[in-house]
Amino acid sequence: MKFKTLIGLALSVLVATSSMQALAHHSTTMFDREKVYTITGSVQEVQWTNPHVAIFILGTIKEGDSPTLWLMEMTSPGNLVRAGGWTRNVVKAGDKVVVDFSPLRNGTKGGALKKITLVDTGKFYTADIRAQESANLEERDQK
Amino acid sequence: MNRKLLFLAVALVVGVTGSNLVYAQSKKPIINPPPTAKDWANLAKLPDWSGVWNPKITDQDKQAKTNMPPWIPAANEMIQFQLAEEKAGRPPPLFVNCLPEAMPSWMLITHNAMEILFTPGRVTMLGESDGNRLRRIYTDGRPHPEDPDPTFHGHSIGKWEGDTLVIDTIGILPQSLIAISEAAGVPNNGDMRVIERIHLVGKDELHDEIEVIAPKVLTKPWKTTRIFFRQRAQKYDIVEGVCLEGYFAPGKDKQGNDIFVPIQHDVGGNRIPPK
Repeated sequence: MKFKTLIGLALSVLVATSSMQALAHHSTTMFDREKVYTITGSVQEVQWTNPHVAIFILGTIKEGDSPTLWLMEMTSPGNLVRAGGWTRNVVKAGDKVVVDFSPLRNGTKGGALKKITLVDTGKFYTADIRAQESANLEERDQK
Repeated sequence: MNRKLLFLAVALVVGVTGSNLVYAQSKKPIINPPPTAKDWANLAKLPDWSGVWNPKITDQDKQAKTNMPPWIPAANEMIQFQLAEEKAGRPPPLFVNCLPEAMPSWMLITHNAMEILFTPGRVTMLGESDGNRLRRIYTDGRPHPEDPDPTFHGHSIGKWEGDTLVIDTIGILPQSLIAISEAAGVPNNGDMRVIERIHLVGKDELHDEIEVIAPKVLTKPWKTTRIFFRQRAQKYDIVEGVCLEGYFAPGKDKQGNDIFVPIQHDVGGNRIPPK
């Protein structure tokens, strides 16, 4: 069974078992910003959607562990473009990646992505919404 | 008798015509006149606010600690509880229902960019990442309606004092929050007025000096300034941002059609991570 199907199945079960909650602009203190974990693995799915982009990673945090599925949350597409140099296609399903993230405090397999590095090219992208606090960001981009 | 009849007839005609006149006066529609070439030309005299404006979030963070609104005791109790919850890693879910952040919170705690359009008699503010962010500020000299229907962004009238746009906003829904962060804020509970002075500072920084008058939750008016940075590169143009899109992920139905598949989120607005 493909992992995308597995994700779909997992999500369907969740939808069936819990009540719907909306989402929008929320605080992020459910993530433990004092911790930074690194996961190495492959991208299973990218959800490039408002108001928060998400990437599913199948990977390991400690060498020797068996790979598990993790969910990485980010800010909106517009902010990722401005703050981190992203476009919709820079990270794709199948890409080998290394991801630095702050984990959820409740111990489930989720985190706030800080930096994603593509293993094949060494290119990396960040997701710090506060990295866009100057005028004319393109001048910074050109440096 | 004939004279009496004639008098009655005249009185009737005068009366009906007169009441029609009164009726016509009270119901005379107020027209938004078509803009003239001069109206369009006059826009060129206004300061240049073109481009995309993104907020200084670190200053919002700072002011949440250094510039607390003068809450009444009940509101302060609510804020202190929310701050403690957030610190404990349980941020209260204030803006997670996809309703507009509304006034004045859009200006106070937004993390997203906006653009500002000038047309004759009006300034329009459009926000990214929430399909419902839109402020219409009438600069054509009209007054507020006597009893406006409350809305998320209220009724705004503006006037230019030199290069500063002074905006007066009333008619805001009582449920609209006065927020100091995404996780701390209280409903204004009605009768709120927001006065803003928006102007450039330097070439590419826009300041919104905000005064919030909310007698139901503040002991006195609260003042704060919020800062926005200008971007001109096309790659930073505002993009569509439909909040409700986050309810769904792209998927396929049995026939292979592209559809939106509902997905689950926790109370804090995050997708549920794998077990």
